Amino acid sequence: MNAQTDILQAADVTFAYRPGEPVLRGVSISAAAGRFTCLLGPNGSGKTTLLRCLMGQLAPSCGAIALGGRALRDYRPRELARVLAYVPQQPASSLAFSAGEIVLMGRYAHGGPLGLAGPGDLTVAREAMKMTDTLGFAARTLDELSGGEAQRVMIARALAQQPSVILLDEPTSHLDIRHQLNIYRMMRRLAHDWPMAVVCVSHDVNVAARLADELVLMRGGLVVASGTPDETIRQDLLSQTYDVQVDLIATPDGGVPMVRAK
Amino acid sequence: MIDAGERPSHTDGAAAPKPSAPAAPAAPDQTPVRDQAAPATLSLPRLIGWSAAMLAAALAVGGACTLVGVISLSDLTRQMWESRALLMLTAGLVGASLAAGGLALQGLMRNPLAEPYILGISSGAGVGVMMGLAATAKLSLPAWASTPVLAFLGAMASCMAVYLVAQRRGRLDPYSLILSGVIVNIFNGAIMLAGNLYIDPNRIADMTYWATGQLSDATPRSLLGVCGACIVAGWAALLANSAAFNVLGLGDDVAGSSGVRVNRLRLVTFGAVGVMTAAAVALAGPIGFLGLIVPHICRMAFGPDHRLGLVVTPLAGAIFLMIAETLCRSLGPALRLGRVPVGILTALAGGPFFIFLLRTRFRGASA
Repeated sequence: MNAQTDILQAADVTFAYRPGEPVLRGVSISAAAGRFTCLLGPNGSGKTTLLRCLMGQLAPSCGAIALGGRALRDYRPRELARVLAYVPQQPASSLAFSAGEIVLMGRYAHGGPLGLAGPGDLTVAREAMKMTDTLGFAARTLDELSGGEAQRVMIARALAQQPSVILLDEPTSHLDIRHQLNIYRMMRRLAHDWPMAVVCVSHDVNVAARLADELVLMRGGLVVASGTPDETIRQDLLSQTYDVQVDLIATPDGGVPMVRAK
Repeated sequence: MIDAGERPSHTDGAAAPKPSAPAAPAAPDQTPVRDQAAPATLSLPRLIGWSAAMLAAALAVGGACTLVGVISLSDLTRQMWESRALLMLTAGLVGASLAAGGLALQGLMRNPLAEPYILGISSGAGVGVMMGLAATAKLSLPAWASTPVLAFLGAMASCMAVYLVAQRRGRLDPYSLILSGVIVNIFNGAIMLAGNLYIDPNRIADMTYWATGQLSDATPRSLLGVCGACIVAGWAALLANSAAFNVLGLGDDVAGSSGVRVNRLRLVTFGAVGVMTAAAVALAGPIGFLGLIVPHICRMAFGPDHRLGLVVTPLAGAIFLMIAETLCRSLGPALRLGRVPVGILTALAGGPFFIFLLRTRFRGASA
């Protein structure tokens, strides 16, 4: 995790929606290709706000965010979209587009004036769908898919942007445990095999600890701790982050222990 | 199943013990992956084909309606041909403008009930037109200059009012949107009535007639030219953003991170729809519901893609209003009703359609 491979670097980021009430109070994190990072913390700890700063939707009042060695705010929207992609919490389309067409919308920033898909765009979209196993329902609309399938379509759409960084905002909060695990496995695989930097806001400590390469624990707009799951899944750090006493329970496979609130 | 596939995870320490879950049957509706399948999408031949077909249809309907108009009056003079052709041109421009405006607003607001008339943009332009007429009378300004400009200012003021009232932190609640449209409509209606009383109490009847929305075969060519140019320019601005409207359907954050300048798109759309609605109202008064009906029919026929929709919907709107106007001119006298303003016909057809949308599609979308 040396500085050269960190494609996304946020240093000392401060942000406030209302003056005097900072949501982020000097947060520094980084993301590198080949690394799957999860942001953990209680509600209101600033995870989503940090993500929105990282994707350029919010401008931090202090601190700097650099993407590929260049200040994030210097990127034009289309240019940024070719480097960085985003997956929302809840997949939704107000229009009845098919999954395939939604994935092709990821090509918006690569497209010409008419915005029609060329052969290259179709190839990229097909690859993205193959990687997320969504080709089988390319012709169906989001409404006709299950929550997990729809979320995979949204991930495929983000991949069609051919980004180096992908940011996800609690992508599994409405999914059952099997689909949740599937999505986390997919993110891990994307980070390692593509390779790209994957940063995911997460609400589930155990799944994140099991599959992420790095955890960032946040509380009250500050980073409590960051590091590998082995370094961060500690009673004292988790208690401090979530403000609740926790037990660590050894797992049968001897991996990162399970976290249970007391 | 994502991890049953072709790319085994090679690194895993943490995920080493694979649970048996992936072996369980997948969702019952899952079909096998077809590797060679390409996502179906709008192709250039399809876009050009449908656009050309709709353009040809619009020209044919325009010609046919002109012919019907001339023959029904059995007046084959050159003047009659010209006046009927101009009437159909006016109808076509107004219809195209309102249909495109409806589609763009629905796309921008992710709300199937948005439309210039329902949102009070038409009545805002109406206030402008009324002031334009007053200015023309009192200051002897040329109508083609004052009317469209004031109509545009009125339309934009209403646009902004509706948006600001309905939005909460940039998000538009569908019900607030419709409600703020109703409020702005009532407000504009009151201004129009009051203004008209003040200007000339004897013209209330005229104003009522104008406010139903009707087309004139005696529109000054200068006014038609200016308004036509405004409509074409607005349409071009919307067309240039047609792909962005599709992406916007996925939400502001997804659209923004895909490269869409969401705020700029909002400004361009409001500006373009304001200009187009103002021009339409300056030509024909407020014609309601066309901007609701036509985009919905086109979505059913051509799908949700704005790249095709923003071409075919305005042309369909033109066809719709040309036929409606011809029906009004032919049926009105035949039923001994005198001249029936076309706005009455569109409102009579559109009201039930609006209720139908509210009760069926829209309920599903908001649940």
